[in-house]
Amino acid sequence: MDDWKYQPARDQGLDAHASFRSLRREAGLFASVTQAAWRVAVRAYLRGYHRLAVEGLEHIPARPPFVMIANHASHLDVLTLGAALPWRLRQHAFPIAAGDVFFETPAVSAFSAMMLNALPMWRKKCGSHAMQELRDRLIGDPAIYLLFPEGKRSRDGSMSPFKPGLGMMIAGAPVPVVPCFIDGAFAAFRPETKFPQPKPISLRIGPPITFADVPNERAGWQEIAVRLEAAVVALRDARG
Amino acid sequence: MIFGLHPVSFWIVVSIAAVLAITPLIFLALGKAGKLSPALRSDVWTRYRSWLVLAPLMVIPLVAGRLPAILGVAVLGALCYREFARATGLFRERLVSALVALGGVLLTFAIADNWLGLFHALTSLIVCGVVIFALFADQPKGYIQRVALGVLAFMFFGVSLGHFSFLANDRLGAPLMLSTLVCIELNDIFAYCTGKAFGRRKLSPNTSPNKTLGGALGAAVLTTALFATLGHFIFRGTALDTSLHLIPLGLLISLTGQWGDLVMSSIKRDLGLKDMGATIPGHGGLLDRFDSLIFVGPAVFHYLAYFGGLSLDLPARVFTGR
Repeated sequence: MDDWKYQPARDQGLDAHASFRSLRREAGLFASVTQAAWRVAVRAYLRGYHRLAVEGLEHIPARPPFVMIANHASHLDVLTLGAALPWRLRQHAFPIAAGDVFFETPAVSAFSAMMLNALPMWRKKCGSHAMQELRDRLIGDPAIYLLFPEGKRSRDGSMSPFKPGLGMMIAGAPVPVVPCFIDGAFAAFRPETKFPQPKPISLRIGPPITFADVPNERAGWQEIAVRLEAAVVALRDARG
Repeated sequence: MIFGLHPVSFWIVVSIAAVLAITPLIFLALGKAGKLSPALRSDVWTRYRSWLVLAPLMVIPLVAGRLPAILGVAVLGALCYREFARATGLFRERLVSALVALGGVLLTFAIADNWLGLFHALTSLIVCGVVIFALFADQPKGYIQRVALGVLAFMFFGVSLGHFSFLANDRLGAPLMLSTLVCIELNDIFAYCTGKAFGRRKLSPNTSPNKTLGGALGAAVLTTALFATLGHFIFRGTALDTSLHLIPLGLLISLTGQWGDLVMSSIKRDLGLKDMGATIPGHGGLLDRFDSLIFVGPAVFHYLAYFGGLSLDLPARVFTGR
């Protein structure tokens, strides 16, 4: 017989709020159901209300781990990236969300964890320890991360320079990064408006890039940021 | 009937309310006398606040009627199952885990319908289902473990708690369930107190090092006496109202309660965990609080059914008809 291989949930012993905010959180039966229901609703909403069009689906790797990155100009971005994933991969997807927005209060944390399956990134106090934990989970789970390397939502629709933090998760590891460009999300849901407008959104997915040979250090992280930014800009400029 | 409640139910509710009202005064007095260290003071208040929430959640569904009682036990079972699945890792086996949850829902329906046949059928059908569903992962490695955890979870939180829940279909369901619950909770306290006073020999040093033989015997004597007394008022005028019937039943409740406690201690030690969860501040998980309730259901149910103390002649198949 096989050795006993079952282990307690990695967030065992944490109370509900601490578990929602934990990078070790594992979804159970109930969260799987709420997340699946949320994904069905979001997909229907994006298809129906924003006529979401996706190009380059063939570039999405067949199995985790991988990271999907995109420009960030609207709250609809993360929903768009998630909706592009094939059904069998979606339960592995974790949006990396700003801790100070999505995990501050118990109610918002519950939504972020139970519906979005998001993991928090604490922008002001994100130490190397948290980055290492994210890296370990990405490779070990293995998982799919959805993240926005600009580090913040654009207020005018233009792209900001990519931050090197992402490099700490993938430099020197055989984890593909899929660059994407989201078009129309800014016009559909501008930062100053309360509700999204029924405007079209399109998502262009580029070929994955791997940074296995890039050293896991500051210069390497910077190089990754520059190359990924160029890849997303190329997708933006390629629009017909 | 007093305010629509069986006298035993009424006096249990009044007693619980009185204990909850007096306890803070005792804590305050002990604090004033300097008998509580700051750490102990914060611990007892946390536990008290938890009881303040927990006690009404336990008592109100049981006295509110048949369906609230059944739903209340079902919710308790679901939450305990969640803790068990997360502590053992069973929750990662989605298919098995979902089937156990579905089994719990179906059992609850069978109980609410007062359909004993379906209730018993589900016991074997869901177990067979777990055995079969565990095949679909197409991973022979770990098969026995997947099946074992699934079956164990279904037996604990579906079938065993379900038997307790089925008592709600009895004419005397409310006082019976309330008395059992009170006896089970006091059983722990009796064991602790008599253990402190008379306990020398350890009961099971590897499983639960703080338990003593003296505590176990003390709890058995006191709980049996308490249940036999309550039972006399519940079963007054029926064939069960004799000490020959009530004393063994009280003893059964005390023993199965203590065994349930030891079972969960064994599981926790095996997993290397201190608590099964962090649901109740000061207590740990719900399972740490309700572990002793697990085996009491089948013991009480079948004892009463054998000696004719269950009014299973009440309308059966309430929803599905005959």
